[in-house]
Amino acid sequence: MAASTMCTVVSSLSRNNCHVGVIQMLNPIYRGAAYSSALSLNNGVQNKVSLRGGGQRTLGRRPKRESGEPRTEKMSVDQDWTSVYPTAAPFRHSAVPLPVRMGYPVKRGVPPEKKGNLELIKIPNFLHLTPAAIKKHCAALKEFCTQWPGALDSHAKCEEHFPIRVKTTEYVSAGLSVRNPKARVVTLSVKLSSLNLDDHARKKLLKLVGERYSKNTDTLTFTADRCPLRKQNYDYAMYLLTVVYHESWKTEAWEQQKTVADMEEYHWENSPSQKNVLDTLLRMKGQGEASAADREELLKSSAIQDYRDSITRLKNEGDNESTLQQYRESVKKLFNL
Amino acid sequence: MAASLCIGGVVLSGPVTRLGCIVLSRPGTRAIQTSAVCLKNRAARVRVGKGDRPVTYEHALRPHDIGHRKGWLSQHTSNLCGEEGAADRVVEDVFVRRFIFGTFHGCLANELIIKRRGNLLLICALMLQKLPPQKFYFLVGYTEALLSHFYKCPVKMEVQTLEQPVVYKYL
Repeated sequence: MAASTMCTVVSSLSRNNCHVGVIQMLNPIYRGAAYSSALSLNNGVQNKVSLRGGGQRTLGRRPKRESGEPRTEKMSVDQDWTSVYPTAAPFRHSAVPLPVRMGYPVKRGVPPEKKGNLELIKIPNFLHLTPAAIKKHCAALKEFCTQWPGALDSHAKCEEHFPIRVKTTEYVSAGLSVRNPKARVVTLSVKLSSLNLDDHARKKLLKLVGERYSKNTDTLTFTADRCPLRKQNYDYAMYLLTVVYHESWKTEAWEQQKTVADMEEYHWENSPSQKNVLDTLLRMKGQGEASAADREELLKSSAIQDYRDSITRLKNEGDNESTLQQYRESVKKLFNL
Repeated sequence: MAASLCIGGVVLSGPVTRLGCIVLSRPGTRAIQTSAVCLKNRAARVRVGKGDRPVTYEHALRPHDIGHRKGWLSQHTSNLCGEEGAADRVVEDVFVRRFIFGTFHGCLANELIIKRRGNLLLICALMLQKLPPQKFYFLVGYTEALLSHFYKCPVKMEVQTLEQPVVYKYL
């Protein structure tokens, strides 16, 4: 090695004056030293080439290492594929023994083969997720899993024991940062049937909560996203639920001022409908001014009760076939038609 | 270009054309652009020649074939609806491509493919067997170490080698 470096120095210093003798003297061990006389020695580059290991470019260079046969030739049919592709990896044409072709064919040709095919490398592959591999994954994960509690075998039981459902979302993306601001949103849903509410509490809660209650599913939903962390949003949602529940049980002084317009549903007692029907019946009977006792009696009669039911149903449920039918029947019964 | 601007019937020549037009030309006159050749789209297109130039699949198909006959060279979640960070990923991609092109100069058989799995940056490269394997291994390690330190994320290279580049067509 020292000889060769010295030679390069000599040749570069005396590039134009170098002659054969010097080179041959200093490098007796190099094969093909006799060929050096054929080279033009004024060219420094070629000198360097001749002085480096392995002879000359033009005549018989060291044979390049041949690439071996691809691994697919040595694969047996019953090999363990999970050891060929243990993790997610791009497509390797020499490791996948399938004769796949991919790409748009040239005119009157076939799609390009898999060797050197960039299209096959571009696409994601699932060669690492064969059924055998998934079985191995499951077997490995099993020791970290615990049994589902046997007492919770039906959906109803789950609802009964765990009435509050909290929904949070995790976001995974490709990039340098794990954080995603959308991950702080917490949704808390609970069925009102699982809460202990009396009539007044339920009505007050519904008024407090407004849009967050869904009548179809009887579910109250709180979505909290005003805090920067998920834990904070969860605490806030639980706090909202607690506060709303306790407030609905309290009765404030100003709730006495609830007017008919604030009522959620129609009450027939002390309504204009009751007054009208009683007046009409009394006038029909011929009595002008009736006493309170007579009114009471009338109220208790079945015709009036039917009429009350039909009117309440009509006002609460709206107009449809059955309610109108019921109203018709009750009015007919009232007037003895 | 020369025929493109002819204002007021006075053809101004030379460097005065661009600067002086606005000042010297009469307002209210228009001309048409007569050079149509400039409008041809030249992006990522290898022009058809004599038929002796070998061309890979990647270069033979035009950009409008992406999504139809070609796949995407770089895939990550930032291009989905509502996801952020697309610009950063693009800049990373461009830098990585130039870096590898320079590090493995003359050895790349085809374009690089960059995949991202969470934090991991996976560079899939098709190379020609121009360097001895030891040098390849060194350059791969050097790339991985340098890029990992630069981007603060694990960077892995998957290299496959070929004797010759795969030819799709001769243009």
